[in-house]
Amino acid sequence: MELLSILGCVANAGLVLALAPLGEGVLRKVTARLQSRQGPPLLQPYFDLLKLLGKEDIESGETPHVQRGAGYLALATVLTVACLLPLGFRTPLTGAGDVILLVYLITLAGICTLLAGWGAGSTYALLGSSREMMTMMALEPLFAVSLVAGAVQTGSCQVDRVLDGSVYGAGGIPWSGLILLATMALAFPAFVQRLPFDVAEAETEIMEGALIEYSGPKLALFKYAQMVKLLVYSALFVALFVPWGSGWAFPFGWLVFWGKVLAMVLLVTAVAASHARYRIDQALRHFARLLVLAVGALVLACYGL
Amino acid sequence: MVARDLLNRLKEMLGPALLRVDTPADDRIFIHVERDAIRAVCRHVFRDLGARYVISIGADDRPFSGQYLVAHDFAFDAAHLLGSVVTHVPEGDPRLDSITPDVPAANWAERELRDLVGIEPVGHVEPKRLILPDGWPEGAHPLRKDVAWNFVPEGYDPERAFKFGEPPPGCTVVPFGPFHPTLDEPAHFRLYVEGEVVRGCEYRGFMVHRGIEKLAESVLSYNDIPMAAERICGICGCVHNVAYAQAVEEAAVLRAPPRAEYIRTIMLEIERLHSHLLWVGLACHILGFDTLFMQSFRIREPVMWIAEKISGNRKTYALCLIGGVRWDLTLELIAELRRVLDTLEAEWRAVIKAVLGDKNVQQRARGVGVADRSLVQELSLIGPVARAAGVPLDCRRDHPYAAYDRVEFEVVTHEGGDVWARIVVRMKEVLQSIEIIRQCLDKMEPGPIQLAITDELPVGRYGLSSVEAPRGESHHFVITGENHRPRRWRVRAPTYQNLQAVPAMIKDQQLADMTITLGSIDPCFSCTDRFEIVDLATSTTRVWSAEELARLARAGRR
Repeated sequence: MELLSILGCVANAGLVLALAPLGEGVLRKVTARLQSRQGPPLLQPYFDLLKLLGKEDIESGETPHVQRGAGYLALATVLTVACLLPLGFRTPLTGAGDVILLVYLITLAGICTLLAGWGAGSTYALLGSSREMMTMMALEPLFAVSLVAGAVQTGSCQVDRVLDGSVYGAGGIPWSGLILLATMALAFPAFVQRLPFDVAEAETEIMEGALIEYSGPKLALFKYAQMVKLLVYSALFVALFVPWGSGWAFPFGWLVFWGKVLAMVLLVTAVAASHARYRIDQALRHFARLLVLAVGALVLACYGL
Repeated sequence: MVARDLLNRLKEMLGPALLRVDTPADDRIFIHVERDAIRAVCRHVFRDLGARYVISIGADDRPFSGQYLVAHDFAFDAAHLLGSVVTHVPEGDPRLDSITPDVPAANWAERELRDLVGIEPVGHVEPKRLILPDGWPEGAHPLRKDVAWNFVPEGYDPERAFKFGEPPPGCTVVPFGPFHPTLDEPAHFRLYVEGEVVRGCEYRGFMVHRGIEKLAESVLSYNDIPMAAERICGICGCVHNVAYAQAVEEAAVLRAPPRAEYIRTIMLEIERLHSHLLWVGLACHILGFDTLFMQSFRIREPVMWIAEKISGNRKTYALCLIGGVRWDLTLELIAELRRVLDTLEAEWRAVIKAVLGDKNVQQRARGVGVADRSLVQELSLIGPVARAAGVPLDCRRDHPYAAYDRVEFEVVTHEGGDVWARIVVRMKEVLQSIEIIRQCLDKMEPGPIQLAITDELPVGRYGLSSVEAPRGESHHFVITGENHRPRRWRVRAPTYQNLQAVPAMIKDQQLADMTITLGSIDPCFSCTDRFEIVDLATSTTRVWSAEELARLARAGRR
């Protein structure tokens, strides 16, 4: 059983590592088509990562070891999240952690960006960090509320039970689940740090914020982590909110699951291509409204609605 | 009529301090006054008569009159009058009362007087270095006639730094530029930021001074300068090309043939089309809305192609010589231009509809970077920035040139003075330009395109020309001279005035709005290059340091 868990973890991590640049490639290609551009080849993100990994490792920040550590931690965190998720199969790490761990890991992923900015120590990096911190404080409760609502509905904190469309509860019209679905969908681009909520990076305002001092292999780690994040968070969203069809026998269930993840990537792409970036205060107001809705939904979930 | 009224008033006010008044045409006036009266005259013209400040010109007139010459240019837009208040400053005492306490818009121009010609504006509100680099020694003034165009001063001190003001209490300093993804050219804003709010800022620009004016009055000749003028700007170069040619033509009392005037009008409007389309794209990019950025550039591309077909270049049309233009429009080109305009109009109307209905863009643009009527007046702001504040300034109507007196158009204005209003104004001006080009194509008669000029151009005459660039008024001042070149040629690009308002526009705004606020005046600084040497034999790359580059450049110039 333990060996199986380890193999499952390796399989999950390997799968997202292999597929994440492809997801990014789809995003770039579709964005380009929406913008009347030819766009890069689908496999371009793989080459980009290879190129970055092969570059000179320059240390330009104030505390290089924090910067380097933040890069490793970022990728490691999202891969750990991947191990806790059912990626078309059962969750490999059922016994090792529960949804509380998941909430912490998601927070940790954000903290890596903070560390990156603080490690760099330059003005724009610190600005990026402070924006990331504000975004995190508004956003993290949203995911937590959704997971807790799922746990309340199932009466369990086990990941495999919660991550199975649990927010919709057992019977009747699942009001709380539907409200949470709407709020999470409206906040989703922010979780994967894409437009219109990429305020913490905002290339045209603060020049990539926390990542401004990053280059070469360290930048590759962060870029890779971001690509994995897009895929893993999409998978998390699908597992939590769109369970239908994932339970079918292999390979249909597996294909349906990844089809839904692809649909999430396309949704993120479409939203990013049709919106201008929100200002940090506008984004925070948006998150605050969603949070109020989500907490309301949690209350409903407690009453079994 | 207005010129006559002005003359009588000034006579009454100044008495013997008024030396001479020239009105070479109905729409031009040159007021020569004593040095000590300059501040009073400018205050009267700016404050009491409500004239718009244009620019100040300093010239080294010592070889001709033994004195320095200073002229403050003003525009009476409603009365269609351009004027200049001219005075002489003695060689031994190069000082002049500053007009900045009354005319805040003259802030940069007077600092430039001090830097380049060495005339001290006494009582200037912000007497800091503007144009010369930090390490340049005091007392060397590049625009003086005894300074060669390739002069290198002794005592250049690379350690000397520009002294910025103190940040307000509780603020951190955020350096914006010299290099930033949304700055196409180097400029430095030192922002004082409290949290995410900008509380103040100081500007240090002029990183790349190319010395084009100096080159024109010491090396080039009348018909070379239009080509150099065109290279002042990478987006609206044709404007400078036309403005210079017109200023010289005015000084020499020449007039280009009608067909040449129509061709100038058409090319200026083609330039406005591509510039506005480019700007809408860039503004969207700054806001993170890359889809419209790309669409805007796609729509713009046919304009560049037709410009290349007409002139041989996508940009840099090399259009004017003194007294005409260099090439004609054939019937085939006219037919194709009409087709391009038809497609452009249809596509642009769709874009306007999409943008005007987009809540998301409005959220980022409304109430941001406001320049209201009073700021427009105080700092003499121009172009879309003024028109977006509801001030109907447009040189094409106020000071008609080329064929603009023969076409019909309404000045586009909008209320609010914010970034959104500027977006709306520029988007509508695209349609207006299309309409103007169509009218020109309809009205243009066959005929000569270049005047035959047989005599030398007269010496020592003044010429003014204002051309409405996509960014606002481009103003050129020329004093004709010997050796087939002007004695002095002063260029004022629209950004020179509008950029001075940016600190006021971003005060107490979110830091995130800095880029779009700056972008919304459509700034145009100048261009620069990085410099890297690759040794092919050893495949090593070496980046040169600032000191090495400076040493190399100076060695080359000597």
